[in-house]
Amino acid sequence: MRTGVFIVQANEEGLEGVNLHAVELYAANLPHVEKVRNLGVRPRLDPLALAEEIKASGLERVVIAGDSPGFFKPVFTRAMALAGADTDEVRLASFREHGATGMGTPRAESIVACAVYGVPFPLAARPGTTATVPGTLIIGGGVAGIQAALEIADAGKPVYLVERQPTIGGHMAMFDKTFPTLDCAACILTPKMVAVGQHEMIDLMTYSEVEDISGSPGHYKVRVRKKARHVDIEACVACNTCSEVCPRSASSEFDSGIAARKAIYIPFPQAVPNAYVLDEASCLYFESGGEKCGVCAKKCPKECIDLTEKDQIVEFEVGNVVIATGYDVYDATKIERYGYGKFPNVITALEFERITNASGPTGGKIVTKVLRHNKRKKVDEWVLDPEGPPPNRVAIIHCVGSRDAQHNPYCSRVCCMYSLKFAHLVREKLPEATCYEFYIDMRAFGKGYEEFAERIQAEGTYVVRGRTARIVEENGQMVLKGEDIVQDRMVDMPVDLVILAVGLVPARGSDRLAAMLGIARDEDGWFSELDYNSDPTDTERGGVFVAGACQAPKDIPDTVAQASAVAAGVLKSVNTGRGLDSRADLSLSEIEARARSLARV
Amino acid sequence: MAIRVNPKLIDELEVYGAEDVQNCYHCGNCSAVCPFSKEPYIFPRRPMRYLQMGLEDKLKGSLEPWLCYYCGQCSEECPRGAEPGETMMSLRRWLTSKYDFTGISRAFYKSGKVELFTVIGAALLTALGFVLWAVLRGGDINSYDGPNAFLPAASIHIFDWALAGVLLALLLTNCGRMWWFTLGRDKQLRTPFWLYLKKLYLLPLHFVTQKRFATCERKRPWAVHLALVVSYLIMLVLIMFFLDLMWSGPEIDWRVHVFGYIATVGLLGTTIFALRARLKKAEPLYAHSHETDWIFLILLIFAAFTGILQHILHRVGFDAAANVTYIVHLMGVVPMLGLEVPFSKWSHLAYRPLAMYFSAIRAEAKERAEKEAVEPTLAAQPVA
Repeated sequence: MRTGVFIVQANEEGLEGVNLHAVELYAANLPHVEKVRNLGVRPRLDPLALAEEIKASGLERVVIAGDSPGFFKPVFTRAMALAGADTDEVRLASFREHGATGMGTPRAESIVACAVYGVPFPLAARPGTTATVPGTLIIGGGVAGIQAALEIADAGKPVYLVERQPTIGGHMAMFDKTFPTLDCAACILTPKMVAVGQHEMIDLMTYSEVEDISGSPGHYKVRVRKKARHVDIEACVACNTCSEVCPRSASSEFDSGIAARKAIYIPFPQAVPNAYVLDEASCLYFESGGEKCGVCAKKCPKECIDLTEKDQIVEFEVGNVVIATGYDVYDATKIERYGYGKFPNVITALEFERITNASGPTGGKIVTKVLRHNKRKKVDEWVLDPEGPPPNRVAIIHCVGSRDAQHNPYCSRVCCMYSLKFAHLVREKLPEATCYEFYIDMRAFGKGYEEFAERIQAEGTYVVRGRTARIVEENGQMVLKGEDIVQDRMVDMPVDLVILAVGLVPARGSDRLAAMLGIARDEDGWFSELDYNSDPTDTERGGVFVAGACQAPKDIPDTVAQASAVAAGVLKSVNTGRGLDSRADLSLSEIEARARSLARV
Repeated sequence: MAIRVNPKLIDELEVYGAEDVQNCYHCGNCSAVCPFSKEPYIFPRRPMRYLQMGLEDKLKGSLEPWLCYYCGQCSEECPRGAEPGETMMSLRRWLTSKYDFTGISRAFYKSGKVELFTVIGAALLTALGFVLWAVLRGGDINSYDGPNAFLPAASIHIFDWALAGVLLALLLTNCGRMWWFTLGRDKQLRTPFWLYLKKLYLLPLHFVTQKRFATCERKRPWAVHLALVVSYLIMLVLIMFFLDLMWSGPEIDWRVHVFGYIATVGLLGTTIFALRARLKKAEPLYAHSHETDWIFLILLIFAAFTGILQHILHRVGFDAAANVTYIVHLMGVVPMLGLEVPFSKWSHLAYRPLAMYFSAIRAEAKERAEKEAVEPTLAAQPVA
């Protein structure tokens, strides 16, 4: 079948790691390929001219290759029809969809080869199976990791759940409410956390990090560093005596830094495991090299504090690995114009979650920070006081760090909805306050989300289209400047509290993990799935799965759904004893040979 | 009133330099960072919206492009790389071509080649005309001033005034069209005559001081621009009123020449600065250069250099050389004035101050109208 290969580019830079010139040469040498032409960057194509070209070369099949070639399928279909050829013979060689980002030129070439032979790429590049041991490692103990762990463990299969923080729960544990149902986040998550803590099939390793993963699909050797917690999890009854006597404090990670915790502390009362942890970095005993303090160990009624404990290395073998590392929020200090870090009452979304959370430092009261004199440090400090003044005007700024060529180009997906939730919480707790949402586009995409957005608007929140340009201080008052696009006027408004709806970025350490496992990440740093549409939980590496926001920004329902889907994939291999091998290991010639043999059938 | 949409408008603007308008997603960042964007003139986002929607008539009636001085803050902070600053610049080019009824301006902006060849043609025609005229009336090539002068000051003076008259007529017609598009055509707007008188002071004020330009956060472009304007004004006054004093020589007449020197330093300095900045793309204002910008700058620097040269040659007594250089000088100056002032970049010397003037009139007329109407609401009203 006489075939023409047309290469299209989505942008000038092309796909990272793909040498288009090499792909062209490769395609030209494939059997039946009569013509290879690079159409350039986002070409404007004329179907008549294309039809002439198709006719002139007598093409019977056309392959459109490149990053998102589907954009050009209609024009080629029309050209084929005009040329009198079979319109079904327009084949797509989609580099992005089949993982050429990260897998490089040979992958792009094999995608083109499959299209030229008229064989679906996933069919030709289907890896074989390999014997798999039953254990599963889950990295990350947020809601994705918890859900996947419970699904697998409830099926009676062993799970190792490794979490960096001293407790599982992740970001969801910090939230007050979930959207769009306004359910209490803790009420949903805490029972699951407790179930994980008590499950006989789950080996929970908190305050631990995966140091190394080696081996092959079905047999991964894992080395985990269990950081010295200095508190015996089994013996600790969380009586708080140690914290009471501890002289040192640091800012609380769980409270997003807006409150303090002691050097020996429990992240929050419902933590799992429900045990205290000693943070060496802020502890006076460790700072002084063991000469000072140590009072917690002396006062502990259960004598469960061991100041001499060392980090422990644990090694085990698993058949599958689930990545559920989630996200971090965008660093708002990078956007100077919003004055985060400069104005005390410009806060991030996570900070607001803690302020409005009944278990947070203000007991759920929404207040602004006030200037207080710290007698011990002899400086004036902005502090959160539960009795402090509530804000009269609250502005919520959407898309902070998202959809911005200078920061993150992508939409973080959850910010619109959580911002609307914030507006509801503000209006609910402070009926006198006015609340403004400054948005670019309202992305209420899920079940019940649009209704939620309408409800918030109906409640009396002012929803203003137009991104805020900057926060400034005028005569001691914070002033927000922007444009109200619908009303066609400038906004120049005094505000008391500004909440920045910061976007999501891949969790710290994702790069190391990707290198360790040999899986790809996309341009934005999120882990790449095997196939965007049909294999959203698998990766190029056999037995390695992605769940939740580590693959792309996701809300809680989607995260939970994906985690359960991952569990299904894991259980399939554990139950049959055989899992998929790595697609990454398939060579170009193997895929090409398979495509050729499939084409003959 | 029916609104006609020109769906090709956004493509048409591409030749004027606006290439990234379609990237804009209307977050309003640009309008909010702009130091000039105040009600009722909110930009650059609004003109960009008009452009995306193809509202040609609305754009034609916009004064906003002229209120922008291209400090580039909007382009720097644009999250989409839509280059709002460059779009405003392109709109100014486009508006210049719309104000001009002859269509010459449009041809210039659409093709740098057309402008270049016209400039060269005009230069050759100028040279030919002056040489022919001097030879026919029996001028002595070795005499610069005096009764036998190759080109006598009195004749040049008459030529200057004639040229000025033609240019002024062209420019005034264009300004009249600008008034029609922006104020005259708007039937809803009631602009009484006294309002025009009341705001008239704005015209000379903005023309001489470039006061608004100084509002930008970056002050250097304003200083450079002001120096250029003042230098040109000095030169204009000298040539239009004191040409005979400038002409006589070879001894230097300090009463006029001291001003001439100041203006020359100003012209040369600012032009070299602008040329360097455009080559280096030093600031957002200079980052994108249209062909017309280059032609304008080259003509400027050409005129300045040949002017200095003929001045020196005349003072040191090389009258023949001075005469030749003067003709070359005219070859730069005549196309520069004759083509750039009514049809190209230079016309903004009239449009900008006029825009300030018109915008003040329109703003006040609107305000008066609004006072009579109901008070507007503060922000998006909740549905409740």
